[in-house]
Amino acid sequence: MEKEKILETLTKIFRNILDDDSIQLVTETTANDIEGWDSLTHIQLVVAIERHFKIRFTSKEIQSWGNIGNLLDCVHTKIS
Amino acid sequence: MIDLLDYIIESVATQNPLHGKKLRKNSKKRDDAFKKRAADFLLKYEILLKNEGKTIDYSINCYLQMLADVNFESVQFMQTGEYSSKSFEEVRKRVYNNPEVMDYYMHGLLLSQFLWPHHYDILLYFNSILSNNIINIKKYLEVGGGHGLYISEAINIIKEDAQYDLVDISSISLGIAKRMIRYDKVNYVHSDIFEYYPDKKYDFITMGEVMEHVEDPVKLLRKLYTLVEDNGKVFITTPTNAPAIDHIYLFKNAKDIRSVILESGFKIEDESCIYSEDLPAEIAEEYKMSMMYTGLLTK
Repeated sequence: MEKEKILETLTKIFRNILDDDSIQLVTETTANDIEGWDSLTHIQLVVAIERHFKIRFTSKEIQSWGNIGNLLDCVHTKIS
Repeated sequence: MIDLLDYIIESVATQNPLHGKKLRKNSKKRDDAFKKRAADFLLKYEILLKNEGKTIDYSINCYLQMLADVNFESVQFMQTGEYSSKSFEEVRKRVYNNPEVMDYYMHGLLLSQFLWPHHYDILLYFNSILSNNIINIKKYLEVGGGHGLYISEAINIIKEDAQYDLVDISSISLGIAKRMIRYDKVNYVHSDIFEYYPDKKYDFITMGEVMEHVEDPVKLLRKLYTLVEDNGKVFITTPTNAPAIDHIYLFKNAKDIRSVILESGFKIEDESCIYSEDLPAEIAEEYKMSMMYTGLLTK
């Protein structure tokens, strides 16, 4: 799957979990840019992303994403 | 000069911005009494670290490592509805007898006492329960003393009038507790509580966050029942829906916990339920947010 398509899907997941249709993810987006994205909702997001893409993240990966670009790369590597 | 707690929060936030967001939010709600307590505790803790040739940055890394475990376990828990560890032997090998894991786990937990609001709230609750029951405490036992914070609190409240015993299954945990407590009259016992047969009964027993670490919590409480005096009291804490590398027994709600307590023969004199997230109780329960149950038990 191309990265643009993954980013589009991630945006849909974020909108759904955080209940905020105004979210538009770009690779530079960080937690500081999205109010509802905190350590609690992060777990729900990870679960939703794992389920959607049928992948599993490691404990290190879950902690390591500084921005959406890092998350995108991680998902892309796992499904490629 | 930057406050040590602020330094810890900012350092965690740099390395884990999502968690930092939460810590900063929590930090704004803190009163002066909290700040003083945290500063006193961290000063003592820094000395311990210094004596081991370490700095607070070491401890921050331990905290982040512990957090990574908790997050990973939380994701698994949401996927399966179960804790990942199933047997005590599995956890003994994975955690209690693994010095590397125990070390970062204990240091991480120590920091969590003042970074996680519900941990601090429980410490205050313990303080008030113990202060109200101080009369007649001559023999005090703590089971699974972890890093020694609670027994230190007990010594501060009860003072030198009592005998203090601390039983823990992990020698690594006992080592950290010894260095944190720095009170030479505590008797440290390295033992599985089920294999502990003292020649006395206790007036007060504290057992914080142990019931979720065993396969059969009723059996554990029945063991405590044999260790406490007829008019003695037992203070317990245990969480619901709290995935961690060493948690085995899943309590889904306070009702599950009360049922285990009553089945063991104890009565509940007082109790409190403190949620880990600042959410209404019904929402927290619906979304399986962790809740810490604290109870004061009598025979």
